[in-house]
Amino acid sequence: MKMNEELWLVVVIAAVWAVLAAVYALVPSLGMPGYVRVWGGGAVLFLVLAGVLVAVSRRAHKS
Amino acid sequence: MDTRSTFFAPVGATSRLTSRIASLPSADKALLRLLFGAALLALVLGLVGGFVTALSRAKAFTFFPDDAYRILTLHGVSVFFYWLYLIQAALLLVLAAAENGRGLALRPLAWLGAALMLAGFGVSEWISATGTPLLYDGSPELAVDDPRSVGFFALGYLLLSAGLVAAAVSGIATVLQPRLRGEADEFTSIGFALFAWAGFLVVSAIAATNAFAPGVLWALGAGPFPADHGTEWHILFHNLHYLPLMATVLVWYVLTEHLTDVTSIHGARMSKIVFAAYLVFVPPTSLYHMFLEPNLSEGVRVVGSLLSLFVSVPTLAAFAIIISSLEASARARGATGLFGWMRGLPWHNPAMANVGWAVVNMMVGITFAFVLIQEKLAPMLSDTFFVPAYFHFFAVGVLTQTFLAALMVILPALGSGTLWRPDVLRRMPVVVTIGLVIFGAAGITAGFMGVPRRVFDVSYGGMAPAAWPVLMALVGVGATIFAIAIAVSVHGVVRTLLSRRPEIEPAPVVDWQTGSRGVGTAPAWTGPVSVVALVTAMYVFTIIAFQLIQSLPIIAISGGHGH
Repeated sequence: MKMNEELWLVVVIAAVWAVLAAVYALVPSLGMPGYVRVWGGGAVLFLVLAGVLVAVSRRAHKS
Repeated sequence: MDTRSTFFAPVGATSRLTSRIASLPSADKALLRLLFGAALLALVLGLVGGFVTALSRAKAFTFFPDDAYRILTLHGVSVFFYWLYLIQAALLLVLAAAENGRGLALRPLAWLGAALMLAGFGVSEWISATGTPLLYDGSPELAVDDPRSVGFFALGYLLLSAGLVAAAVSGIATVLQPRLRGEADEFTSIGFALFAWAGFLVVSAIAATNAFAPGVLWALGAGPFPADHGTEWHILFHNLHYLPLMATVLVWYVLTEHLTDVTSIHGARMSKIVFAAYLVFVPPTSLYHMFLEPNLSEGVRVVGSLLSLFVSVPTLAAFAIIISSLEASARARGATGLFGWMRGLPWHNPAMANVGWAVVNMMVGITFAFVLIQEKLAPMLSDTFFVPAYFHFFAVGVLTQTFLAALMVILPALGSGTLWRPDVLRRMPVVVTIGLVIFGAAGITAGFMGVPRRVFDVSYGGMAPAAWPVLMALVGVGATIFAIAIAVSVHGVVRTLLSRRPEIEPAPVVDWQTGSRGVGTAPAWTGPVSVVALVTAMYVFTIIAFQLIQSLPIIAISGGHGH
């Protein structure tokens, strides 16, 4: 399936949030576990939204 | 400077936005009226609390410390949380429903969201009025012996967060409907912005849960004392810097099209990238909130300083897109002059006046926001009156005026009647701005001189500098001016909400969609030049701040509240 601009924008958002969550998780000296939860939760959310966009596109093309 | 006269849309012409709102199902209209009414109630409560707080700081009133902090708590909770988030939920739902053209999807979920948010509103106001005053950040350290106050205060925000999630899910489902029906292959730029904004609301609810769930657990005896609340609050607070600004820019996009029929000349793709940029920049720019931590390593400070420069990139990019689109369209219709092209905008429409002055306030607010987030200045200014002085340009001048502008367009279309006295309402934004300039200039100067925030008696037994009470009196004067003007605007919007008279004559809009000369044949420089002027102002005021602070005999480094 061709990745449209909306989908890759949402994927980029999820990727940036995931990287920041990983930085806070893997650098204990930052001492901010809350950032891991929030940025990580955001990364998961935007991945889910990307999945929703894919599912909606597939359903629209089928119907 | 001169400009050609502008074609005014014929009286009775309705835009796509207002006609779609007017045709919403009655169940959606009832929900939206409920949310708009609750948001306005929160604004009124917050406005009263803020006005009394400012007069108290100016020594017009004297309160016992507990009463003063209670009023400050009610002000912050009402305005910063319930006005800003009830109105955002309502705007998300109404714009999503208009985008769909057939009303809200998952309507019961939207109603559940409204019920949860209103329950949170009630709990927060009740515990703020009767419990230990915790200020708007609900710090448990202020009530280590009163877990009941901490628990109920946190519960209020958790209910608000749960309601925001429910409303956001309904909003997302709603903007997806045209695609599910096969009527569109992709979002419009507004549709994508609504989709991203709804996602951001859900993330902010996650951040709020992260910050406030430990308080509820501690109050129930099911968890330890939330000693890390300050850090968790900063994560939420960082999101709350971006979220209403993203909503504001989205409303500017929507109102620009409604008021002038102009859409972005840079295309929908560029607008989508700018709206996505808000979310891309949220996590990386969060480091500057840690500048108040005394043990922060030098490397993190340097990285945080560099990343903080990106804070306002999405807002300025969106500003430049809107201004250049308007200017190019105006010049295509023959408008001339450096600023003369703006004269053709429908300034007689109160919504246009509110948006125009909101932009001016944004420029001032961003300038001083950049002064505050400088790594060397943040520790010295964050606990001073500088903070409330600059952020009222945003909270009142930008956000509140923009959302009131949206209500001035939406409420008459919802069938609530005609807009109350447009000739009065269109004059209020300039009065608000005059009040904010007095409030801000006096407050920022007071902050540079070390006047603390959240301290009601700054006389220090007569030892304080003689200028301090004079500056705080000016703060009271400025607050009085902008509070009265905002109260008039709110009165007009509430009268519109409660009115049942049919709309006789819509407020004026203009049609700049088609130009005889063609868009792009004349250069449009106002947007880029404004951004350059803004960056120059940031540098100038940063230099002034350094020199002012270095000239003071005493320097105090704080490590407390953050901003």
